[in-house]
Amino acid sequence: MAKLNTRVSFIEGSLGVLLLALLVRSAQVQLFQGARWATEAKQSRTEHVVLEAPRGALLDRHGTPIALTQETYHVGIAPNELRDPDHDPETIARVLHLPLMHVEDELGRHYAYFSGPFTASTVQGLRDLRGVHLEPVLNRFYPSPEFARAIIGRAGEGGQKPSGLERTLDTLLAGTPGAAVVLKDRAGRQYDSPSRRIQSPVPGNDVVLTLDAELQEIAQRSLRLALEKMDADGGDVVMLDPATGEVLAVASERRDGGIRPSAFIDAYEPGSVAKIFTAGALIADRRIRLTDRVSGENGKFKMQDRTLVDEHPLPTLNLADAIRVSSNIAMAKFVTRLDHSSEYEMLRDFGLGTPTGIEFPAEASGRLALPKDWSRPTPTSLAIGYEVSVTPLQIAAAYGAIANDGVLLEPTLVREVRAPNGEILYRHQPEPVRRVVSPEVARELRQLLAGVVSSTGTGASAALATFTLAAKTGTSRQVVNGHYKAGAYNASFAALFPAEHPQLVVVVKVENPRKGGYFAAETAAPVTRAMLEQALASRTVALDRARLSAAAPAPGVGELEEDPGVAPYVVSWPPPHDTAAPAPPRPIPDVSGRTLRDAVRLLHRRGFHVVIKGWGNVEKTWPAAGAEAAAGSLVTVFGDTPQ
Amino acid sequence: MALKGRHWVMIWLLAFLAAAGSVVARQTAALRIARALSQTRDTLSSLRSRRAEYERRLRQASSRSVLVPRAQALGLRLPADSEIVILPVPDTSAP
Repeated sequence: MAKLNTRVSFIEGSLGVLLLALLVRSAQVQLFQGARWATEAKQSRTEHVVLEAPRGALLDRHGTPIALTQETYHVGIAPNELRDPDHDPETIARVLHLPLMHVEDELGRHYAYFSGPFTASTVQGLRDLRGVHLEPVLNRFYPSPEFARAIIGRAGEGGQKPSGLERTLDTLLAGTPGAAVVLKDRAGRQYDSPSRRIQSPVPGNDVVLTLDAELQEIAQRSLRLALEKMDADGGDVVMLDPATGEVLAVASERRDGGIRPSAFIDAYEPGSVAKIFTAGALIADRRIRLTDRVSGENGKFKMQDRTLVDEHPLPTLNLADAIRVSSNIAMAKFVTRLDHSSEYEMLRDFGLGTPTGIEFPAEASGRLALPKDWSRPTPTSLAIGYEVSVTPLQIAAAYGAIANDGVLLEPTLVREVRAPNGEILYRHQPEPVRRVVSPEVARELRQLLAGVVSSTGTGASAALATFTLAAKTGTSRQVVNGHYKAGAYNASFAALFPAEHPQLVVVVKVENPRKGGYFAAETAAPVTRAMLEQALASRTVALDRARLSAAAPAPGVGELEEDPGVAPYVVSWPPPHDTAAPAPPRPIPDVSGRTLRDAVRLLHRRGFHVVIKGWGNVEKTWPAAGAEAAAGSLVTVFGDTPQ
Repeated sequence: MALKGRHWVMIWLLAFLAAAGSVVARQTAALRIARALSQTRDTLSSLRSRRAEYERRLRQASSRSVLVPRAQALGLRLPADSEIVILPVPDTSAP
């Protein structure tokens, strides 16, 4: 019996030791190693995923989408998981629009991967197929891929850096990524359960550009057709609103297919287009009276360093004649009345030789040498647009100053920045750079430019029958590798439309036209006229037609009466609503007590974005019912059953 | 009648089963809702994608490069500026 008791005691003791060991080990695991094991367990059963933030949209001034973010998919297929390996490849090839051979080759591997990216509607037919794994990825989508391609640029995808406006505005467009935790099984497969969000992604801001989609299309198409017709190397069009500095259209085309924003980055010698700036200095400094005349030298004037030739010789010329027929000889004579600093300062004040400051990753400053670096012929060269280089954008901004009563404005491409909830974070206000000339001088310069488009001026081919135009032609020799290339010219045309109270500055540059003449009067001027006619005929182009109607003759007079076969095209007024303009605040309707579906429908109809919190019927909204909010604002609807 | 020990065991067992059953039911419902939510998201994504595609096609179809040649083929043309009449707006701001 004693032996039995000893054995029982031994077993009890052993069990006690085991229990103690278990307790000690438990304490060790729980108390001392608990954090490590918890982390390890968490890591093996959960995964942190980054939630990509949708990039903000780029819109034109009327709200037309230019660049959007869209959810697309990469498709991965585990061949061993397919239910019907004989027929599934055919389905996959059909849905993804891929050759069957290619799909079958890929399915021969351990794991097939089709990077696409494929749109959600494309992969819809694969969602129920076992073995197909869809990997969502946000992609940038451009509804009109060719729309201002060089200016808009592309968002950096596939490791590439963003370009163009996508680059400049990257910090505004890119949102803040979020994070979430998803559950997975021992094999690493994610459970079909909702992820737990640690931080929600914050979408990027939407940016409303100053570009006018209709005007942009007119500019691009007109330029492309003109380059083909003239067999030119390339060209640019810039249109801007002189009252605000907003760029309405920028088109840059290269015949070699290259895509670069040459309107911003390619500086060239503008030729006679720059004569008006010297004229401005002469008038502002009172170095000339408009009645002063100089000899036209029968069109040929031999100077100490060069011989100047006029294409349209006149016996004598005043300043208005010099601008109207673009006389090099008269300008060379008039400029001797200016001292170097006055001439330089006027050109500098018009913005030549300085970047305009537009929101773009790259911009050429052009070249304007300091007077101390001038040679003897420099003043004459500058007066006729040589020895100075400018971009088409600089010319547009400078002509904008003439249109804007002498105040140079900083050109801009950004009109508004909107937060994802519709709140307007930034709205462009005109940014004056400096007053270049007085309003009186600016008015005189506009009158000089109006003469260019008269029947005897060099810009007559741009004249419109009904509306007045103020403009200047410029044909200059092309510089290639630091030398003037024989027979190669740049033709430019800068116009203010209409001449009185201009609403539009148009600059057209055509590089090396080979067919139908090379003078601006034969090349760039007709393109300007064609664009303006199209803009006038368009219902949506951003022109103030009320002011134009005051400038235009009354209907029923002039050519219309003489041509009974012509039906007048009546432009609607008021114009279509500018969707980018601020909408007046509107009251938030009382939706309490309604079902969530009804409430959301009503709020959507009133133009609000909606976020739902909770379930059941609506308890309240934030902002509260009755409060005023702008259209597009975010309204949070709280259900009576909390989440 | 006082409850005996085995009754208490029974009650606790039933309570445990009820709690466990409710957890399972809730989880099943949650998974079903999650699946439905996922399907709704997929549908939304698909609809957005189709909308974007339609928008692209609409923009392409209404672009000048498509419309102008078609209009010209029909014998239409853009009006010259002299053929455009802008109707002046009567001044309604006067008292």
